[in-house]
Parts: sequence; C-alpha cells; structure tokens
Amino acid sequence: MQKIPLMLAKAGMVLARDVFRGDSPVGMPICGKDTVLTDALITRLDQMDIQTVCVEGHPVWEEGERTFDELLQNLDRRFEKSRQEPLNSMLYDIYKAYLAKSMGG
Amino acid sequence: MEDKRSELKKIIMDTRTLPTLPNVISKLNALSDNDKASVQEMARIVSSDQVLSARILRLANSPSYGFYRVSTISNAMILLGVNVVKSLALSSSIFAIMEKNSVGLWEHSLGVGVAANLLARKLGLPECEEIATAALLHDIGKVIVSLKCSEAAKEILGLTNERQIYTMEAEREVIGTDHAEIGGWLAKSWFLPDKLSEPIAFHHDVDKSLNHRIKTSVVHIADVLIKASDFGNSGDRYVPVIQKIAWDTLKLDEQIMTELVAEIEDKLIEVRNFSLEMLGE
Repeated sequence: MQKIPLMLAKAGMVLARDVFRGDSPVGMPICGKDTVLTDALITRLDQMDIQTVCVEGHPVWEEGERTFDELLQNLDRRFEKSRQEPLNSMLYDIYKAYLAKSMGG
Repeated sequence: MEDKRSELKKIIMDTRTLPTLPNVISKLNALSDNDKASVQEMARIVSSDQVLSARILRLANSPSYGFYRVSTISNAMILLGVNVVKSLALSSSIFAIMEKNSVGLWEHSLGVGVAANLLARKLGLPECEEIATAALLHDIGKVIVSLKCSEAAKEILGLTNERQIYTMEAEREVIGTDHAEIGGWLAKSWFLPDKLSEPIAFHHDVDKSLNHRIKTSVVHIADVLIKASDFGNSGDRYVPVIQKIAWDTLKLDEQIMTELVAEIEDKLIEVRNFSLEMLGE
C-alpha cells in the first residue's frame, strides 16, 4: 500500500483504504476500498478537495526512494545477528514477504 | 565494575537533577488510587495544567475516538476513562523530556507503543492502555544515560559501531549496567506501578519479569517488531533475538505475526505523519 497525493493518482489504480471527506475517518466514506480509480472518479475526488489517497502496491516512485533490492539489503543487515534463531528467521520471512507485497512484487 | 554501577546509580538517582514528573501526575496518581475520588476532582487537577488539558481535549476530539465536540476536561475524562488520561499525562510529560533529546528514539518509542497496543488488542489482553504506556516508556533509561552521562553515551555509541554489538552489550561494558535496569530505577523513583516498571526493567530479560510477564512479553515483542521494521532509531542496528519465553507466554504463531506485521505497517504510515506534524509544531 502506498499513500500518494491525488494529483499523482491514475486511472486503473486500486484504493487500499476508504476515502473520507476532509481526511477524517469519521462519518460516511465517499469512496470504498478496493474501488478501481477512473479519470472521472479522480476529478470528482479532486472537486471534493481530497488531497491524498492510499492505493494498492507501489505505483509511484519518488526521487530518492529506496528500491525493493535496497530495502531487502537493509532487512538482511538488520537480521544479520539473529537470523540463525528459528523465531527470528520466521519474522525475517514475514517481513520479506510483506516488503515484496507492499512494493507491488 | 560493581563500583561503577553503584556510583552510576547514585548519579542517576540524584534527585536534584533527576527529571521530575510534573506535580499534576503525582496528584492524579494519588487521587485515582482512592476509590472515593470523583472525576470532577481529578478534572480540576488536570485543568491546572494547560498543556495537558489541551492534549486531552485534542485526543478526546480526535477522529480515532469518534466522539464529537468534547469541550470540558471532566467530559473528556468520562469518555476516555481515567486510565487513558493518566497514561496520556504520563506519556506526554515523558515526551517533553524525550523530544528535545532525540527524535529517532522518540519515534522508536512511539512505534513500540503502537505495536504493543495492536498486539495486546489482537490477543484480547486486559489493560491495553497500560501496556501501550509501558511500551512508550520502555527505553526511558536511554534518555537518562544521554542526559546524565553524555560522555559514556558517546562511548557506547562508538562501541556499538566499532564492534557491531547490541547497545545493551556496549552499555554493560561501559557503564556496568544497561538502559533497561536504569529505566527500572527511574520508574521506581517515580513510584510508577509495577505493571509499568516491570516491562521497562525487563524488556530484554522477559524471564526475570515475575508479576507482569504478559505485559513484559508484549513490550519485548513490540520492540523486536519495530526494530525489524526499521521505524525510528533506537540506537540498535540489529534486531534482537526473540525470547522464546515471551513467544510462549503470549502463545504466538506465524499467522498472528503475519497479520500483525501488516497491521503495524499500515498504522505506522499514520504515525509517521503524526510525528512529522508534532515535530513541525
């Protein structure tokens, strides 16, 4: 999941969270999670003054952002001293799978 | 080494320079232990501290609670519950001490607080708020080390980088004790209840926690998770070994952990925005 400014949202992206009016999670969502964005919908959200949306995967790359390989290298380094322990090894695998999923892999 | 430790304990426990908890918290603690105290009395004490009042109102009105327009402290206390207000009072004054010192450590503590809260709720444990507060405070000993012995703190940092060891090991070598034990001393000197001081003192030695092992286990696991997630900066670059006793106490398994990691990461996106906002204030 990635939180992006609405101006970078494109048709075809999938909402990972409900969108609420005024960014406040109280009251009725104006657009549900799992909705596929269309140009018309993005314009509509823009008119309702929505600033950011959370979308599935990792569709937008910002400058200076770390790639999946870099994140994985950092993860390896953090687990360097403890990965031989079975429970830590399990946690390592969980994080690795999470990173892969969140980066859209 | 033993001399060094007791000498250090003396320095650290020197009450003239020890960071003190604001008066309002000790009064609140005394009152809430007394069954006859009314919410109105407590609200009056809280109201005497304007910063704390503002934070409580802000929390009560925040979207995550979903209440609307709470404008008095006594209403906020009724809605949030006295324990939440106490935790908030405690953690906001800790933050005041912490924030100035180290943003990275503050973020780490905030992350562990969030993770502990999610884990405690997931397991359906009682007193989630207390567990979250203990988690927020678990590294308070590190703040004390850097406040009271800044030379030693530099040496510890140097040693962890040079020899690539855990902060804990470096602390024991340089100052003869470690941040968990120091945090425990501090919690005792603040007269915090055992359910807070035990998780602080034993989050790296869960087996030594005798009365509140479940809470200590949650804080330990939350600390490991936040270090694995690379959120904030605890000073440690390596993920600690998960203690089997904590894992067994909480009856964790792979599925719980997989769900928990996703929930924590999801929540941390919000926390990151929140901490940026706090820093910008």
